Amino acid sequence: MVIHDVIVIGAGLAGMRAAVEAAREGLNVAVVSKVHPVRSHSVAAQGGINAALKETDSWEDHMFDTVKGSDYLADEDAVEVLCREAPADIMELERMGAVFSRDDAGKIAQRPFGGAGYPRTCYLADRTGHGLIHVMYEQLAKKNVYLYDEWHVVEIVVEDKSVRGVIALELLTGKLHRLHSKAVVIATGGYGRLFNTTTNALSSTGDGMALALRAGAPLMDMEFVQFHPTTLKRTGILMTEGARGEGGYLINKDGERFMKRYAPKTLELASRDVISRAEQREIEEGRGVDGCVLLDLRHLGEEKINERLPQIRELSINFAGKDPVREPVPVKPGAHYSMGGIWTDVDGKTPVSGLFAAGECACLSVHGANRLGGNSLLETIVFGRRAGSAAAGFSFENKLRVFPEDALKDTARGIALILNRAEGESASGILKEARDAVEGHCWVFRTEAGLKQGLLEIRKLKERYEGVCVTDRGDGFNTELVTALEAGYILELSEVMLLSALNRTESRGSHFRTDFPERNDREWLKHTLIYKKDGGYDIRYRDVVMTKFKPEERKY
Amino acid sequence: MKTKFKIRRSDPLKAEPYWQAYSVEVKEGMTVLDALLKISEGDDPTLSFRRSCRSAICGSCALTINGFPKLACSTQILPIAKETREVTVEPLSNHQVIKDLVVDFTPFWNKMEKVTPFLLPADETRKEWVIKKEDEKAIDRAQKCIMCGSCNAVCNSLDVDPNFIGPAASAKAWRFVGDVREGHRKKRLERLSGEHGVWDCVRCVHCTEYCPKDAAPLEAIERLRAKAIEEGVVENPGAKHVLSLVDSIKRVGRLDEAAMTFKTLGFLRSLGMIPFGLKMEIHGKLPHPIIFLAIEGMKEVKKIYSAVEKRRKKG
Repeated sequence: MVIHDVIVIGAGLAGMRAAVEAAREGLNVAVVSKVHPVRSHSVAAQGGINAALKETDSWEDHMFDTVKGSDYLADEDAVEVLCREAPADIMELERMGAVFSRDDAGKIAQRPFGGAGYPRTCYLADRTGHGLIHVMYEQLAKKNVYLYDEWHVVEIVVEDKSVRGVIALELLTGKLHRLHSKAVVIATGGYGRLFNTTTNALSSTGDGMALALRAGAPLMDMEFVQFHPTTLKRTGILMTEGARGEGGYLINKDGERFMKRYAPKTLELASRDVISRAEQREIEEGRGVDGCVLLDLRHLGEEKINERLPQIRELSINFAGKDPVREPVPVKPGAHYSMGGIWTDVDGKTPVSGLFAAGECACLSVHGANRLGGNSLLETIVFGRRAGSAAAGFSFENKLRVFPEDALKDTARGIALILNRAEGESASGILKEARDAVEGHCWVFRTEAGLKQGLLEIRKLKERYEGVCVTDRGDGFNTELVTALEAGYILELSEVMLLSALNRTESRGSHFRTDFPERNDREWLKHTLIYKKDGGYDIRYRDVVMTKFKPEERKY
Repeated sequence: MKTKFKIRRSDPLKAEPYWQAYSVEVKEGMTVLDALLKISEGDDPTLSFRRSCRSAICGSCALTINGFPKLACSTQILPIAKETREVTVEPLSNHQVIKDLVVDFTPFWNKMEKVTPFLLPADETRKEWVIKKEDEKAIDRAQKCIMCGSCNAVCNSLDVDPNFIGPAASAKAWRFVGDVREGHRKKRLERLSGEHGVWDCVRCVHCTEYCPKDAAPLEAIERLRAKAIEEGVVENPGAKHVLSLVDSIKRVGRLDEAAMTFKTLGFLRSLGMIPFGLKMEIHGKLPHPIIFLAIEGMKEVKKIYSAVEKRRKKG
């Protein structure tokens, strides 16, 4: 059997950063990813990465902005780590080979971003994630980390509450493999693909979260999904917040900069949840344009757009047929970021011994009820590094434990069941209905009746999923089988999200209940924790960690 | 609008690839990737292809569409369907097919690894480097690469010699050689100037023409060549050939092929060219090996050279 000291699932920024850190300790590290590292969704991050670099800025200010942006649901001990360690991590990225865009003096430039009181977002034009993911892939090559790309982890093997390794499906051959290891780090990204309208890649199906839940780890704050205010109409493709950071306007059908009615001080640079709700209101109250509002960049001029936002121009032309130099681009809110995820401490540790998580799939929580732009790339680097280091430490301190005999057989049986089913429903049909249910009932505005309805629909679909069947019965590159497995994860996470949203009877950050429109600090300054138990779910709560700041009303 | 899609399919268990046609209802704004997804979610779930970001940044879905490499996700169907009435989709050329539209990228990644794809900083301890706008700009274009493989698919040199380093890895190599922070520039250039290296490019410009992200691999190759000569990495046929060309024009204002052959290949290897020379002689194509007249207007040529020299000194 193949043995590694540390196995990382997922090869986005957090996963690769964790692998690089563990490999630094001289360990035998492997990354298992369903896509090649440079295809991971971190590549699509556009705007930038936050750090208090300047003397006139401070990590405390960064921390305050982050906590306020989170609508006071973030754990301040974790946010402190994030903001304190940010500057050193930026400098390390530079040493690894990243080239951040420069100011006139040749120093790292920083741009303003929503919800931040200081321009502290470092960037690489409007393709920061692309720049960083290639750098991290370079480091992976440098450190000789073993790479299993286009391998799908289908099971995290746990016995006696301690991790033993993973079982993965090699897409090329259709074979199942046992990968034995002392520590496993999950870094599989978010669950944007629970929705139809999302900025997320087709591969962001939340696999790692569902696998962790099945392996006994709890998921936290799954009701909090960030809706990005500027995504393209038909496809949900992202238009970076940097477009507004550089001075772009949001206007309605009357040409009015409507944000002045919702966030008079910060206008288009209010927090993302605030803007998405404002847009949804404008659209629902008839001041939209064909189901959208307009992102207007014309006044920035061609030169600035080409220099700072070249990709935005290209995407608008290719995917919306609008050249932002000449006309405004129709945009609307789209599911963008999963604040919720696998509960971990500041070292990425989950309650399952030897199991770690980092990046979007994890929840510490540093983003609370709403994430600030520029903080997610930062999270992948800071906590990817910390999780990698902790997993390495765990691997040094512990012996390799036995890989259970039956694990492979059980997993193989589950997959054979799908492959051999003579007739049934296709996964893509079930998925379509699931996404319609989630988008219809768990969108920007939520109600008790809607969430209950959504839950009902998802539970019915889960039953139907028991009879899922595939047409492609070949071994090599069976993408239909993969879709069927992903559908299982999506249904599971949809149910958990709806359940968490139904129980939280208040409005906070991205979670807005029209039947409970106020934030309720007396009862709800706490995190939702969901465990899997006897085929159902066990819901618990955990108090928010507060160290420095008292919750106050959030005004922008 | 109903549009016919002809898709080149292969099954590892069947010997021959075959064409399969599908009819897809196409709406305004739909991309080739949307159509492939529609087919795989409805008519035919057995169709395999790679996809992920669907916004032209992850590099998964480069395919041969109506004969040319394109990203399926950013290729609108209607404009091409109106012109050709059907859309053909095939796997990338110059790559081994695994199944249907999926090709083996292992050789592609291996080439990347060959160019030592990470920065080897001149100063490991330095915290923040001052990087001027022009330094940033020098490698900016090459850095736009998304590793989709379109350039390698249309590369003529790669078609002939699978060991050629190819445009994609060359762009990656320039990204380090051109980086002001890099500490092993000359060593990199020496390796890149070796066999199967950047001098094997025939400058057909296909890589730059079909790059979906304007990364301009040919520009990177040309910059690498120029930098190699600048750093004195000239002990190889490619650099010698260029230098002897410069020299020939300086002397006589035109190509002195015989002299260039000697200078590029050296005496011994030039002997091997004799049969080729004889064939040329039979067809009356061999320039006189000894009597070789300079063109008229050498004065003008000299002027050009001194102007270039002046400009170079100025930097």
